[in-house]
Amino acid sequence: MKHNEITFQRVTYLRGPNLWTYRPVLEAWVDIGDLEDYPSDKLDGFADRLIAWLPGLHEHRCSVGTAGGFVQRLQAGTWPAHILEHVTIELQNLVGMQTGFGKAREAGPRGIYKVAIRVREETVGRAALALARDVLMAAINDTPFDLGERLQPLRELADRRLLGPSTAAIVEAATDRGIPHLGLTEGNLVQLGYGTRQRRIWTAETEHTSAIAESISRDKDLTKTLLASCGVPVPEGRVVRSAADAWEAAEDIGLPVVVKPTDANHGRGVFADLKTRAEIEVAYAGALEEGSEVMVERFIQGVEHRMLVIGGKLVAANKGFTAEVVGDGQNNIRELIDLQINSDPRRGEEEHFPLETLLLDREPIALHELQRQGFTPESVPPAGQTVLILRHGNMAFDVTDDVHPDVAAAGVLAARVVGLDIAGIDLVTEDIGKPLGETRGAIVEVNAGPSLLMHLKPAIGKPRPAGQAIVEHLFPAGESGRIPVIGVLGRREPALLASLIARLLHLSGRHVGLACGTGLQLDQRVLDTRPNNHFDGGERLLINRAIDAAVIETSTRAILGQGLPYDRCQVAVLTDADEDASLAEFYVDSQERLFNVLRTQIDVVLKGGAAVLNACEPAVAEIAKLSDGEVMFYAMQADAAPLAEHLTEGGRAVFVRNGAIILATGSNEEPLARLSRFDLTSASATPAQTEAVLAAIAACWALDVPVDLIPAGIEHFEQELAAAARSIETKGA
Amino acid sequence: MEISRIRALRGPNLWTRRTAIEAIVTLSEGERPLAGMPGFEDRLRERFPELGFLRATHKSDTLTLAHALEVAAICLQAQAGCPVTFSRTAKTVQPGVFQIVVEYSEEAVGRLALQLAEQLCLAARADTPFDLQDALKQLRDLDEDERLGPSTGSIVEAAINRGIPCRRLTGGSLVQMGWGSKQRRIQAAEVDRTSAIAEAIAQDKALTKKLLRAAGVPVPEGRPVHSADDAWAAAQEIGLPVVVKPLDGNQGKGVTVNLRGEAEIRRAFEVAQGFRDDILVERYLPGGDYRLLVVGNKLVAAARREPPNVRGDGIHSVRELVQQVNADPRRGEGHATSLTKIRFDEIALSTLEKQGLHAESIPEKGRRIVLRNNANLSTGGTATDVTGDVHPEVAARAVEAAQMVGLDICGVDVVCDSVLRPLEEQGGGIVEVNAAPGLRMHLSPSFGKARDVGKAVIDHMFAPGENGRIPVVAVTGTNGKTTTVRLIAHLLHTSGLSVGMTNTDGVYVNAVQVDSGDCSGPRSARNILLNPTVDAAVFETARGGLLREGLAFDHADVAVVTNIGVGDHLGLNFITTVDDLAVLKRVIVRNVAKSGYAVLNAADPIVAAMATQCPGKVIFFAADPEHPVITSHKTQGGRVVYVHNGDVVAVEGTFETRLPLAGVPLTRNGTIGFQVENVMASAAAAWGLGLSWNAIRQGLASFQSDTGNAPGRFNVMDYQGATLIADYGHNPDAMQALVAAIENMPARHRKVVISGAGDRRDEDIREQTRILGAAFDEVILYQDTCQRGRADGEVVRLLREGLQDAPRTQVIDAIQGEFAAIDHALASLQPGDLCLVLIDQVEESLAYLQQRVAAAH
Repeated sequence: MKHNEITFQRVTYLRGPNLWTYRPVLEAWVDIGDLEDYPSDKLDGFADRLIAWLPGLHEHRCSVGTAGGFVQRLQAGTWPAHILEHVTIELQNLVGMQTGFGKAREAGPRGIYKVAIRVREETVGRAALALARDVLMAAINDTPFDLGERLQPLRELADRRLLGPSTAAIVEAATDRGIPHLGLTEGNLVQLGYGTRQRRIWTAETEHTSAIAESISRDKDLTKTLLASCGVPVPEGRVVRSAADAWEAAEDIGLPVVVKPTDANHGRGVFADLKTRAEIEVAYAGALEEGSEVMVERFIQGVEHRMLVIGGKLVAANKGFTAEVVGDGQNNIRELIDLQINSDPRRGEEEHFPLETLLLDREPIALHELQRQGFTPESVPPAGQTVLILRHGNMAFDVTDDVHPDVAAAGVLAARVVGLDIAGIDLVTEDIGKPLGETRGAIVEVNAGPSLLMHLKPAIGKPRPAGQAIVEHLFPAGESGRIPVIGVLGRREPALLASLIARLLHLSGRHVGLACGTGLQLDQRVLDTRPNNHFDGGERLLINRAIDAAVIETSTRAILGQGLPYDRCQVAVLTDADEDASLAEFYVDSQERLFNVLRTQIDVVLKGGAAVLNACEPAVAEIAKLSDGEVMFYAMQADAAPLAEHLTEGGRAVFVRNGAIILATGSNEEPLARLSRFDLTSASATPAQTEAVLAAIAACWALDVPVDLIPAGIEHFEQELAAAARSIETKGA
Repeated sequence: MEISRIRALRGPNLWTRRTAIEAIVTLSEGERPLAGMPGFEDRLRERFPELGFLRATHKSDTLTLAHALEVAAICLQAQAGCPVTFSRTAKTVQPGVFQIVVEYSEEAVGRLALQLAEQLCLAARADTPFDLQDALKQLRDLDEDERLGPSTGSIVEAAINRGIPCRRLTGGSLVQMGWGSKQRRIQAAEVDRTSAIAEAIAQDKALTKKLLRAAGVPVPEGRPVHSADDAWAAAQEIGLPVVVKPLDGNQGKGVTVNLRGEAEIRRAFEVAQGFRDDILVERYLPGGDYRLLVVGNKLVAAARREPPNVRGDGIHSVRELVQQVNADPRRGEGHATSLTKIRFDEIALSTLEKQGLHAESIPEKGRRIVLRNNANLSTGGTATDVTGDVHPEVAARAVEAAQMVGLDICGVDVVCDSVLRPLEEQGGGIVEVNAAPGLRMHLSPSFGKARDVGKAVIDHMFAPGENGRIPVVAVTGTNGKTTTVRLIAHLLHTSGLSVGMTNTDGVYVNAVQVDSGDCSGPRSARNILLNPTVDAAVFETARGGLLREGLAFDHADVAVVTNIGVGDHLGLNFITTVDDLAVLKRVIVRNVAKSGYAVLNAADPIVAAMATQCPGKVIFFAADPEHPVITSHKTQGGRVVYVHNGDVVAVEGTFETRLPLAGVPLTRNGTIGFQVENVMASAAAAWGLGLSWNAIRQGLASFQSDTGNAPGRFNVMDYQGATLIADYGHNPDAMQALVAAIENMPARHRKVVISGAGDRRDEDIREQTRILGAAFDEVILYQDTCQRGRADGEVVRLLREGLQDAPRTQVIDAIQGEFAAIDHALASLQPGDLCLVLIDQVEESLAYLQQRVAAAH
């Protein structure tokens, strides 16, 4: 029988921490229809067909915890939603988007599941999910399916949309250091850290990378002049105006020479080791095609090397190789290249391959080399004859440990003279282990935004932590890139609570951003009066370079629909676990399911941070143990259940006793003020308002706002509220 | 008239502190005096009426064609708008040969002016036509091409006003400001700290908008819409009025602005869809275009910009209206003026077409016709300064926008009714931020006050009181320069600075040689000043470079003149007398900073006399504490350095400090007189720079004059119990000093090995051996490998002549070849003997001597 299509009720990208995991996921609500009655073991041949298409599923661990775990479940019988999760992960892995996390749960109604899959990029995740459903249905219904063909567009999409390898390495290194990141564009422009502490990167450029230095590095002639002025060995040479002038320059400099464009990239149009007038004139024309001006330089004997300099230090060095083929008397050069060079499993077209496929059609230099040797790509060289294809191939071999200190110093000086904080230094020398003075080697180019891939994944030799080096350059040891983020969640006056915290923090001397249900504010300036207790409101604060603290209110709806806007927070406030009927549309209809949503907020508290929790709410107090940081309770009553034990253990709490607000640390109690002192805690205030004030006091105490400042600050805040209310009344009248 | 050897003096020089072209002019008999060319001056003035008054430098000099050429070259430049005034003609010792010097502001313009001046003079002489207007146009055009653009120019000018040295690194606008480790760079209105990423962000409009929005800066908010319904919904969310336009639309196609009603908006959506599928609804910002310039965290200027436009009068055609506007005499061509003529070209015509007009249309009275959609001054737009009007809240938003994008210098484009009120109040917003903004509209607005935005950039780059300079010491003199340079560099290095040094052996950064050869010229000095690792610089300043190009720096903190004596290299380059040499050497003294010091040898009257030329203060040194120059300077409270009781003593008023010579190995307990002089000069220079006496003492103690430190400078070796001294001295003063030093060194028998450099005057070659003949028992003459223009055997003959009647010399040998001469000297050397070898090929001979010494051990 033919089964109906699995349908998606909705697919949501949860951009921040969510009830599934800390990382972004795609959450799909899946209706499997009649397949509810057909677990995998009831579908003839299904598991075999699926595994035949996706043998990588063998590696999936699933609940069993070891490789093969998922296949066991498949054979024992599991439901399509769960299979969909694994197939999506496998497809993502196949196109280079490595992920491991996924979960599938019954949503509530029969046949409806929520499937969450970790994704690194939304559109790639969505495309993988859609393809996974098609694969699954084909396997279920035993219809033909050309996976290879269907995978290709997904692979191309992933190549286009995923972070490039350099950026990914930096982001990963930042994550290892606990530094948060957020993408500012769909491309590789990434913000590391939040608010004033943030730094921006764009592949291997940082916000400190000077635009002038980049323009200097693009002007090879100027670069060389500057380097030579500072005593860095360079190949002497000059810009030439014509083919005849090129020959004249070559005679002045001495043969052999190199002819190349002054401003082209990636070695295009560079012609080396030229010894005759004819060669030089041909090269002049070739170089002119790739750039606006052409220069002639002394040819430096040796192999091209690339040194990576970051923040005044040599981080890695690679050596190029010479590509050659040996004739067999049968195949032409094009074929020999495929047989002898491109057959290397390390070569491929996508970025993740350490070595590029060698295609003659995009290597004019190789064509020129062949011509020099009297060949065309179609020539069949005699058996045993070696044919040089490329003098300087990919910089595939790590030689970091061999670099002579003088050579490293020359590289560091070159980067400094040009003015680049991160530079790829190209040098030619016969032996990088000897001073350049000895080998007559020279630095030939200084590159801005160098690719890190060759150092991260050298074809031969040790990978070098280039990403870490850049992160260290931007964030010295001990710097996390974080500003205090205060997350507020709950249904009892959360906006008031968030506003009061923001006001008190501002009074203590910080530039504070506030995003909450009543709007968006920077210090005292109101930017927006529409609700901002959602992902965008929070993110808007975190990308602001002027803010050194952010108070962000989130709602349960936002957590369910978008995720939290921050990865971790310094202080998380949770006011209540009151039921919310409107969450039924998310199938959150029980206390247990609500608990799972609320805990998201407490799960992200930083180790040195604090969870500020309402001790009078049993469900809230229950969450306390999930906090990685301190727990600070607040309570309207001094006898709230968890308080006694918390204080016995030396914990901190803010509570009310005999009409006074008390700050307690273990048995040490400090009265802060009488309730009657503030309108918001007086008899005329609502209990929720009073609780909000207590929570704000606790949060500020956790943030080391001077305690003396708090009562005056609250009064200040109340006056401003009253003034704002009056002004609205006036306007209304 | 023949003009030869044209040089550009790119720094302070023999003639002037300014940059100048120098040329040799050789005149035939008939071309001097000018009086002998009747009617010439009248014909010259006919062709160039603005020619200045012809005058001779000295009243006694007669006016010649060279003078006319000089004045023509300076006046042509001045007439073309170059800010130049200095020129001069000087006679040389050769009759009919003159040197002329003409200031320039751009080298290429100066050179061209000289050529044109020559053409002018020839035309006047031959009474042929000269096209003055064409000549001036050539000069003006070249000057406009060469000189810095207005933005860069304003920043450089501000830097120079702050005393920050500037140097162009390219023919373009890349400029180095300051020196060594203190240097900064600018390129137009970009500085070296301007972030490349920030520039990329500024070019991405969508991202810029996202970031500005996050910073709370009002931007035209909007979103893509997919249907007419959605367009209306979006308009309501955003707030009216709105613009409906295709995303990425160009040239305003399919754009409808200022929409308020539902029907209008729906219609506009349909129109836009005719061009593209992706439609954007954005808030419409009403009002005018403003440019706010943010530097650092300040708003420094603001201008209201208007595209070129005319107002209809119901009578004239658009073409005529444009002609009327262009008739305004304030409107010029190009970049020189604050108003430029409106271009009536293809772009103008197509802009008219969009307004339903053509060139001959007669617009109704009062209608504003725009002729171009951008407000650039160069195409006829106008800019009105409104800096004083900007509301603090508007300024705050502009600064926030710049900081959010990450630009330290940023042109913020604002659309609003008026900058007098906050943007939020009037629905205005920021539509774009620009990296490397043009500054011209603020420097010379069409209307309103000019703003010194260049100064704002410089004040942003350099904290108050900073001038980007590193300590610079210039050293010159006849003898002792190289050792003094090395010793001063060593003292600076000992005090913890990274030191760059140039001398006749090479360029050194912290004692590591980075270039070799004679590096005592301005090119090597400029390289040191460019090197970002250098904290202090010490330059040997030799005559060659000074004559060729002038100094590499505008002024030094300390200038040291060790001595002039009877001179060296006289007769070259029209420097024929010791007085000429003094004039040349004192260039560094004349270019000492006001806060700096000249360190002068009090015992050398020519050097001591330079004191009056020094804009700063003077430190005199001399071994003799009773020397009248020393005593009188000391009495007046000036700084002096002298020797007393085996100590170098430094005195200023009541301050006195002593440096025992026993603690200075270089002087061998004070026995080597000329090294004592070098020590005094170096310690005085270090004192002038404000180094601590502790550092000076330590540095003097740790400086070794072994060959590694100063090859060829009194390198003392031991050869089988005899004392062997190698030195590069090659002039009479060096001989005097060496003899004085050796007199203090006990020796049984003294011999000297000497050659003579051929490029000295005969008299100077003879004088060397005449001095040696009184101090040495044996003299070994050898013939130099390079005779420098002398016939074979001629130098040896001159040396022999100097030894006639020698009071001490008993034995004279002549040997062919330097190594052979050394071998000959060593062969008969006995323990207790002393042998001075005056080496010629420094490196080779030293290596050879060291090899011989090592072999003997």
